[in-house]
Amino acid sequence: MSAWLHLFTLELAVVAIALLVLLWDAFAPAAGRAVGWTTALLLGGVFAASFFVDGRGTVPHGVFVRDEWVVFHERLFLAAGILGVLGSIDWLATRTPKRQAEYYALLLFSLAGMMLLAGARDWILLVTCFELMSMPLYVLCAYGKQDGPASEPKLAAEAGLKLFITGAASSGLTLFGLALVVGMTGTTHVGGIGANPAPLTIVGMLFVLAGFGFKVGAVPFHMWVPDTYQGAPTPFVAFLSVAPKAAGLATLAIVLLGGWSADSSVWLPVLLVLAGASMVVGNLFALPQTDARRLLGFSGVAQIGYALLALGAMSRGGLAMTLFFVATYVFTNLGVFFVLHAAAEEGGGHSLARIAGLSRRSPWLGGALLVFLLSLAGIPFVAGFWAKLFVFMEAWNAGLVGLVVLGVALAVIGLYYYLTVARSTYMADGDRTTPVPTGFALRAAILVCLIFVVGLGLWPRPLVEAADRAAAGIVSGR
Amino acid sequence: MNHLLAWIVAAPAIAAAVLLVLPDSARLPIRLVSLIGALASFAGSVVVAVDYDRVAGGMQMAEEWSLVPSLGISLKLAVDGWGVPLLLLTGVIIVTGVLASWGVTKRGKEFYLLLLVLVSGVFGVFVSQDLFVFFLFYEIAVLPMYLLIGIWGASHEVPQRGPFGFAWKRFAVGGKEYAAMKLTLMLLVCSAAILVAMFLLWKEAGGKSFDLAHLEATRFSLATQNWAFPLLWLGFGTLAGVFPFHTWSPDGHASAPTAVSMLHAGVLMKLGAFGVMRVGMVLCPDAAASWAWLVGGVAVVNVLYGALCAASQTDLKYIIAYSSVSHMGVVMLGAATLTTTGWNGAVYQMFAHGIMTGLFFALVGLVYERAHTRAIAKMGGFGHVMPAVACFFTLACLSSLGLPGTAGFVAEFLVFLGAAEGAHSWWAVPAVIGAVVTAVYVLRACKTIFWGPPPTGEFAHLTDARSTEWVAPIVLGAALILFGFWPRFLLDFIDVASSTFLARIAPFS
Repeated sequence: MSAWLHLFTLELAVVAIALLVLLWDAFAPAAGRAVGWTTALLLGGVFAASFFVDGRGTVPHGVFVRDEWVVFHERLFLAAGILGVLGSIDWLATRTPKRQAEYYALLLFSLAGMMLLAGARDWILLVTCFELMSMPLYVLCAYGKQDGPASEPKLAAEAGLKLFITGAASSGLTLFGLALVVGMTGTTHVGGIGANPAPLTIVGMLFVLAGFGFKVGAVPFHMWVPDTYQGAPTPFVAFLSVAPKAAGLATLAIVLLGGWSADSSVWLPVLLVLAGASMVVGNLFALPQTDARRLLGFSGVAQIGYALLALGAMSRGGLAMTLFFVATYVFTNLGVFFVLHAAAEEGGGHSLARIAGLSRRSPWLGGALLVFLLSLAGIPFVAGFWAKLFVFMEAWNAGLVGLVVLGVALAVIGLYYYLTVARSTYMADGDRTTPVPTGFALRAAILVCLIFVVGLGLWPRPLVEAADRAAAGIVSGR
Repeated sequence: MNHLLAWIVAAPAIAAAVLLVLPDSARLPIRLVSLIGALASFAGSVVVAVDYDRVAGGMQMAEEWSLVPSLGISLKLAVDGWGVPLLLLTGVIIVTGVLASWGVTKRGKEFYLLLLVLVSGVFGVFVSQDLFVFFLFYEIAVLPMYLLIGIWGASHEVPQRGPFGFAWKRFAVGGKEYAAMKLTLMLLVCSAAILVAMFLLWKEAGGKSFDLAHLEATRFSLATQNWAFPLLWLGFGTLAGVFPFHTWSPDGHASAPTAVSMLHAGVLMKLGAFGVMRVGMVLCPDAAASWAWLVGGVAVVNVLYGALCAASQTDLKYIIAYSSVSHMGVVMLGAATLTTTGWNGAVYQMFAHGIMTGLFFALVGLVYERAHTRAIAKMGGFGHVMPAVACFFTLACLSSLGLPGTAGFVAEFLVFLGAAEGAHSWWAVPAVIGAVVTAVYVLRACKTIFWGPPPTGEFAHLTDARSTEWVAPIVLGAALILFGFWPRFLLDFIDVASSTFLARIAPFS
């Protein structure tokens, strides 16, 4: 056992932090921001350690593989986790000062699930990790049930319940499908799907795909996304909108490109239909939204469509660019939600009218929001441009010309609704003129996101190379 | 000086970065920093013009940094014979533009910041020798427009017509925001077309490099050229106001604040024409030759239709905006002739029209700030109270209609000559008619506004230009006359590049 325990150093560290936080709360319940900062700093330590812990290897029977792919995802999830914690500190300390620790603990358990998920190569471990990731999210989603704005208590409950029911249903779908697959192939190893290409295996895999489709919020399994984003606490939505989706996409890549690449003629059309439908529905449904969170929910659906498109290129380059896309999306979307959270925290909800005049009240917040929106829209010199460009290039190279043209056309529509948000920020006059009060932690989180988005926009090369190395762990060759 | 071109591109951006740390209230420092950034770029452009070897021609002062080696993208800067006059033009317009907007009070810091970023992009386009970097700079030049027009634009009613007006119902809150959104979306759709064409060419050239020299060395297949050229023509051409995709231009220019109109009509529209010629025609010579009938035909429509539209406007800014559409038609017509004379005329017209329209918009801004109206029917006899403004406006009008002795004459004459020499000599006829219509509307506007009995009532106490306002009219007016009498200075640069590029287009060289 000790021969492979070191592979799990980082995951164990995250779980240890979660337990520490829980114990701290049990023995010395502390108000204030100490718990949050401790969690963030310890997670930062784990992130730093990920550059020194150099364990690569395989657990016996190939149940878990730690390679460049896993390292890339561990760092990505840790970064998202640190930012998610930082963004929540001020909100928790003011809204629910008496119960903070469980929030962080749940978030960390979910994080540990994601980190393990990237390396899971066995159906049992994979499903277990998926549930470890998902369960805490249901709770966190309804965390603001009693403490949210007075006008929205029902929204929070609705958000939690909706996520829980769709999540549970999708888990059921996945498990049912897996029962068929494992029954037909006689192995629980992910790589064994191709062993028996019987119709029933394929039916089972389609159920599994549908289950994952729910998790990443791809059309037609997206209906929970806007409602959940609207009702759940905004700092948590920031985390929910990026990390679990990145994990879901990673799982899709492991299963489709890693395990089931032999029968790509079966799943590729399904995947491409999901990608196309997500791009179309996400972009078009975002147009009439007046609540910023719902708008971003549909925009998130559209972004998942782009990511699936690159996955559909079925090449190492395509997978690498999916990772690049997801990584930039993580920082961009976290940033957008944090800024919206800061603007909405004064009360009054998240309608677009709420951020009117933001750029004049707090020029830096307004500027940051503009940068994040441009990145989501895919404008040069911010990270999102390279992400969209690379995705379209890889898809084009793989012959998906029609979908690329569709995606480019929809990206312009996307620009329109992102600009309407920018319009509220810059051109509309709000009723308040004082600077938006933001806590230090929230500002730090926004600044980190901003640095990554602008930095990657100017110098995308390191992340491209890291993503390419990571993708080599799943798809060999070019 | 080492890395001269990089400094020219970077100077406005550095000034913009300095602005970031200045407080909003520091009015004068903000303006001075902006002016220094603009002057530095202009001075750099002058040094480039002096140092450029006009006999040798070709790419000079090259510098290169690798950006994304896996795709073959590098920051490669160099200047050719076309770049020199356009650098000078950009330098003049930004310096005068900063001075012309000295009085901007609303959110001054952000205004100058966006203006400087935009100009960095324009300089970058003219010196980029890597197609991808060319495109990136092009985007920087286009995007700040949204905020510049949306925030600082003139609040007036822009008629919301056509499909775009229909899509706009939700945010029909003000003319300038409509104009800004229309401009941004139209230009970005076209950017997407450019991007597609770029990758078509890049892929066929081996997928190794976006270097323009490398792409020029490749003879692309006819099929690729026939896909790429129309995409590039419409993609870049929309920014040059190619009919029927010119509709963003009148609304945008009429809504924009003075300095932005100057820059946009004076320099940005040239980016479009420059892109069509430098990228579209030079990289796709066979397609350029086989599509020339359409490019030239549409350009003729531009010249005539733009002039007729301008003749029927009652709003002063719309007149100038439509005249830009018409004059950019002359540029595209010169490009479509595929003759050395025509190309020389096209580039000369870019320069001449840039100076002229910059002067126009500066003066219109000046008049508007005093009279608070742009309806020419309400004006009259302004020449009595603002003689200098009247004088310079008349000069701009004369250049606009192509009076010998002004830069406009040299440009239009060369283009018409090129058209007559080229494969479709009939183009010269409607183009000349367009020039006559131009004479009708500019002289009519000039007469209505400035001449006639002295104004009474609210307009009786209007004043002439003051302090910094003098700079734009004097500098730009002097340039119009100087380059009307001394065209050789610029033509030497332009000609050496035109002949080199045209040599690639076999059937006509």
